[in-house]
Amino acid sequence: MKNKARGFFGERPLPTFEVDSQVLCRRTRRDFLLFGAGALAAVAGARSLLPHALRIDDDVSELLYSPHRMVPTYTKSQITPLKNNYNGATPDSGYISAWHLTLDGLASGLSVALDIRSLMSRFPVHEQITRLVCVEGWSAIAWWAGLRFDDLIRAYPPASQAKWVRVESSVNLDVSGRPDPYYVSLDLTTARHPQTLLATHLNGQALTVEHGAPLRLLAPVKLGLKNVKAITKLAYVAEEPRDYWAERGYSHYDGI
Amino acid sequence: MGRSTTPRHDAIFTSTLPEQVSVLVAKRHHLLVRRSHWLNVPILLGLILSGISIYWSSPIYQHKPDPNTGNFDVVADIGIWLCAHVPWLHHYKSPPDWIYDHMSLGPGMLAPALRLHWLCAYAFMLNGAAYIAGLIAGGGWRGLLPRRTDLRDSFWMFRYYIGFPWAKLARRQWPHPSFITKYNALQRAAYFSVPLAGCLSVATGWAIHKPMQFHSLAAIFGGFDAARVWHFWLMWFFVLFVVPHVVLVFADGWDTFRGMITGWSARVPRPEISAHEK
Repeated sequence: MKNKARGFFGERPLPTFEVDSQVLCRRTRRDFLLFGAGALAAVAGARSLLPHALRIDDDVSELLYSPHRMVPTYTKSQITPLKNNYNGATPDSGYISAWHLTLDGLASGLSVALDIRSLMSRFPVHEQITRLVCVEGWSAIAWWAGLRFDDLIRAYPPASQAKWVRVESSVNLDVSGRPDPYYVSLDLTTARHPQTLLATHLNGQALTVEHGAPLRLLAPVKLGLKNVKAITKLAYVAEEPRDYWAERGYSHYDGI
Repeated sequence: MGRSTTPRHDAIFTSTLPEQVSVLVAKRHHLLVRRSHWLNVPILLGLILSGISIYWSSPIYQHKPDPNTGNFDVVADIGIWLCAHVPWLHHYKSPPDWIYDHMSLGPGMLAPALRLHWLCAYAFMLNGAAYIAGLIAGGGWRGLLPRRTDLRDSFWMFRYYIGFPWAKLARRQWPHPSFITKYNALQRAAYFSVPLAGCLSVATGWAIHKPMQFHSLAAIFGGFDAARVWHFWLMWFFVLFVVPHVVLVFADGWDTFRGMITGWSARVPRPEISAHEK
């Protein structure tokens, strides 16, 4: 053995000892059996815990959310194309003339209907250039304008026990053009985030049908699939409402 | 029960029966290191299979759509090429999907793939923490640290590995470069970079998973899209590590394999021999 000082980082010689060759054999057999049993136990454990374990990430995502953390904003030169990502067929523009937004679950107990003119004139307009991230992995940077969801909540306070808002579009169609209402669950803390908009404009122009005219949700702290186009109804509820994509196997919370 | 044999008898008894021979054994791997090593097998498999399913839904490497097929995905191109050139794949039903059909969870599996990927990612982080704890507890981390002589020594090891099959074929002597450390320079480089790549995979994974809550983390890797590219190539690092790793363990033999289960290695240079080498 070298007597040279090894220092803290120097490799130590492996500890060695003499054993009977039979002991080595027995130890080998024992450990192979133990590791094999461990592997079987892990498989059995995984099978019983899997349904719950597959949902851990929703809770972690919710823990990570901070209402004070702003999403990055970009300059106009960083804007990228945003495709029409309607899940099914794009609705016909006919619905726009009769469009109004229904609010349900308010503290007043009333159901309120608002048209786009009153929404745009009553609330201050906010602009932001933010990234919209799709669950599939692509993303787009776009320039949005609209009212803050929080301003609407202040003007029409939800019932005190409400923790969630069901965001719904009744005009969505499926691939073959049949009505396929779209609905998502959104936690009120996300709705109140200062960068969560009810957007009316994209890249300086009023929203087109492809992008959810006349009013769409823009929650950049959520995946794109929560950003409902052509919202027709907001319902404040106490329990987590149904969610279109969660019913199809995706996660519920979708905070990014 | 009194012992009827004399000490002298005993000595004869021991030396004539081979199973009574004592062996010199070295403690090579801490239990936590061994356990997390094997747990990495299903975890990495789950991560890669689900990861490729996720990749499929929005490939990083795209080109202008092919006028004939409409295909824009480079991975699909590789599948098309394979099916065109590998004789028994000529009649494959959907050549663009060949890679995905064989290396992912299958089509239309984005939702379960995401859930499985996240679950495996949490397991990977816990397992990685256990591995590092084992490295510290067993002192094994010192054997992984790079040394000043590593560049020169890796050249000799590389030359040895490359020349080995030819030397075997030509029935020539091909002596293994001698070293007295736990690992040779190439092993050290590999086993040192795997935990680093693991940490980078975790960091880029969080950057992709939470690009808003962790946007400064994404910025370190050049933003959301660049973090996806990092994450993709880090997967290839693990694949490129695992293939020679498994081949070399088979080549190296039983003692090395057993060492990762029992923690013991019987391939120990006798102290008097290593004293000679000095």
